[in-house]
Amino acid sequence: MITRRRLEYELVKHVVGPATLRFDTLRGELKRRKKKPRPDSPFGPPLEAAHKLKELMSLHYLAGRYADGAVPVAWVTSGFPVEFLRPFGFHAVYPENHAALCSAQKQVPELASAAEAEGYATDLCSYARCDLGSAFTGKTPVGRLPKPDLLCCCTNICQTLLYWYRALATHFNVPLVLIDPPFVYGKAKPHHHQYILDQMEELLAEAARVSRKQVSLAELVEVMHLAREGTALWGECLDASRNRPAPWTGFDGFVHIGPIVALRGTKECNAYYRLLRDELHDRVKKGIGGIKNERHRLMWDNLPIWYGLRELSTLLAERGFNFVCTSYTNAWAEGGALVDPSQPMASMARAYSHVLLNQDLKNRLSVLERLARTYEVEGAVLHSDRSCKPYSVGQIDLKDRLQKALGIRVLLFEADHADPRAYAKEPAENRLTAFLESFA
Amino acid sequence: MRNAYIANQKSAHGRKALAVLPIHYPKELLTALDILAVELWGPPGPPRGPDAGRVQTYVCSIVRNALAFMAAGGADAADGVLFPHTCDSIQGLATVAPDMGGWTKPAFTFQHPKGSSRPSARTFVAAELRSLAEELAAFAGRSLEPERLWAALRLHREIDRLRAELLDGRTRLPMTDPELYRLLRRGEFLWPEEHLAELRTARDALGDDAAQSGVPVMITGYVPEPLSLLEALNDAGAYVCGDDYAAVGRRVQRALLGTAGDPLAELSRQYFLASPCSTRSADQSARLRYLTDLFDRSGARGVIVHVLKFCEPELFDIPAIRRTFAARKVPVLVVEGELEPEISGQLVTRLEAFVELLGQTRRAA
Ligand code: SF4
Ligand code: SF4
Repeated sequence: MITRRRLEYELVKHVVGPATLRFDTLRGELKRRKKKPRPDSPFGPPLEAAHKLKELMSLHYLAGRYADGAVPVAWVTSGFPVEFLRPFGFHAVYPENHAALCSAQKQVPELASAAEAEGYATDLCSYARCDLGSAFTGKTPVGRLPKPDLLCCCTNICQTLLYWYRALATHFNVPLVLIDPPFVYGKAKPHHHQYILDQMEELLAEAARVSRKQVSLAELVEVMHLAREGTALWGECLDASRNRPAPWTGFDGFVHIGPIVALRGTKECNAYYRLLRDELHDRVKKGIGGIKNERHRLMWDNLPIWYGLRELSTLLAERGFNFVCTSYTNAWAEGGALVDPSQPMASMARAYSHVLLNQDLKNRLSVLERLARTYEVEGAVLHSDRSCKPYSVGQIDLKDRLQKALGIRVLLFEADHADPRAYAKEPAENRLTAFLESFA
Repeated sequence: MRNAYIANQKSAHGRKALAVLPIHYPKELLTALDILAVELWGPPGPPRGPDAGRVQTYVCSIVRNALAFMAAGGADAADGVLFPHTCDSIQGLATVAPDMGGWTKPAFTFQHPKGSSRPSARTFVAAELRSLAEELAAFAGRSLEPERLWAALRLHREIDRLRAELLDGRTRLPMTDPELYRLLRRGEFLWPEEHLAELRTARDALGDDAAQSGVPVMITGYVPEPLSLLEALNDAGAYVCGDDYAAVGRRVQRALLGTAGDPLAELSRQYFLASPCSTRSADQSARLRYLTDLFDRSGARGVIVHVLKFCEPELFDIPAIRRTFAARKVPVLVVEGELEPEISGQLVTRLEAFVELLGQTRRAA
């Protein structure tokens, strides 16, 4: 029997939500048409797909408000094999994505302070502090996050996530399921691979228990196909920036990453990236750039600075610089190719252990070199992210190696991806400006 | 590093030496293969040498110092290095040093599973131990004989038994805290049998009557550095009666040893019987239970949490530790350090104030 809560959820997700958000988009479009474009803007025309992106992500969060009690809810880390959860009917919430949103909306200081008041040190990852603060206070820019029935953590990007999710497990008093892929130094050992496979079996059993549903392998494989296709489409979007001028900016890429993180393995995600890819290809054909005057092409390493995206992208665009590739957005395009639906479990184990942050620095260096060559960049900015040790340890060496191997200029840029309180804006911008001036 | 000692072990016994980063590793395997383990906890002080700045200042000083030390040739007396999978930062160091420069000799990793003891984790530990054993056997140039591993297991459990006796009998031990910790930490580089002999001598000093008269406190944290913190504590009129330092008490294996069968399987079984540790992301409630038990057993009046700055595994546990002891109305002092050679005057004052508070609590009680 379908419950009232379930009915509300389905109505919001499939009828009311899409209609309301579509209406909002149309209203916004009318307003924008009335507004004259700023002639002095250093950016190219905004991406049309951005409206659809807003609709898609807003609907995800809107439906989430009605999800608990209607469908099983899982809070999931960004590197978790979410494909396994979808056939069980879980509504997946991504706290990292939520924290990025909080940061973009300048709400991290308030939320993180709530966690700090509980004793969480300011030196801990700002995503963790922000989301814990949100969980403790119930405050969020998305209205409401559904309470989880299951916490799903994969340590393929960091251990921090596990400490953070343990705190969530205590707070919500719900089970925590873990996929702990051993770090890959050189080549993964056979028993490391087996360990991931064993954990996947444990995950499937736990997902079935919590959702009270059994799922066939065929259903899993179907989602894997979708996820693989989604990452390939995302890769095609990124690839468009190989053209000159790049049809969008690296900062646009940070914003448009939302669906591949939060909706991977769904038809909506893939439909969105088809739309975006087509628009980007169209812009390439017409010679429309993400910035009006692309003079220099750069690469970005590490997480974005969510609260400073607009200011930093303007600072760069005004001087004719564009980040045409970033290791962060690229990471979401790489794993998909390893997924082979004809070997579902084994290939998933391989794909999820061979993510960028779960491999040694030799591999990181080769990825950065490949990106720099493919996208023909003249320089790179390595964001030394105070919050993110796994991404940042080793960057000082990577900087030297990149400079030597490719003869490009590289800047180590110290900031924090989510907490503006750990960002010395003026000195940082001065350093960045001086770096850009060195290209003159 | 203990260069002279290592050189002597090599020439007198033909032993290879392995530098080992914190924290948990199967030392029994090394002993059985006649490999000397020399642990690298930093070393203390600021990072020195031309490679001092190769890791950002927002990473813990254990990792920053270790890289600078290794790259400056400080650990060259060792023939190889072992990186246990302790945290993101050590994991990073395990690729920075061998792959980007700073270490050219053999490098091994011991990846232990995170989280609670699931069946997958048990299978994995067994396989990881087997794999490490093979690699170390090739490094040592000898095969791993089961009888030698059993002997090593017995030797290390005997060491643990004595360490536990000294820590548990702290009140009756006529030693200052710095003296006791200096002794216990010699196990980080001494050949186990030599360490055992020293522990036995110390154990003989254990009397029947109280040898400590100060305020008893429990301490939990990472590594007792600098020792001047313990000196200051003693000077303030307190002593450590319950220890949960990751480098010390938390590594004391208290579980009984099996007696027969495959010694590698026993080593693996022991792994899951170890005290809960933040760096293994053990079940947090188990750690809290362990700490409250230790507190009750030790007769402490307050708790000092001594963490290293930027140490994520430990920092994440602090709120729960605070909450747990606050609910029992036990005073808690959180102290954060950076492997500095000496503690600051400000910290001395905080320790004194804390001890005074505990003293008043005692009088009130
Ligand atoms: S930002 Fe870094 S430390 Fe924080 S959750 Fe992400 S990967 Fe982990
Ligand atoms: S002090 Fe903490 S962060 Fe540093 S190496 Fe040890 S466990 Fe890792």
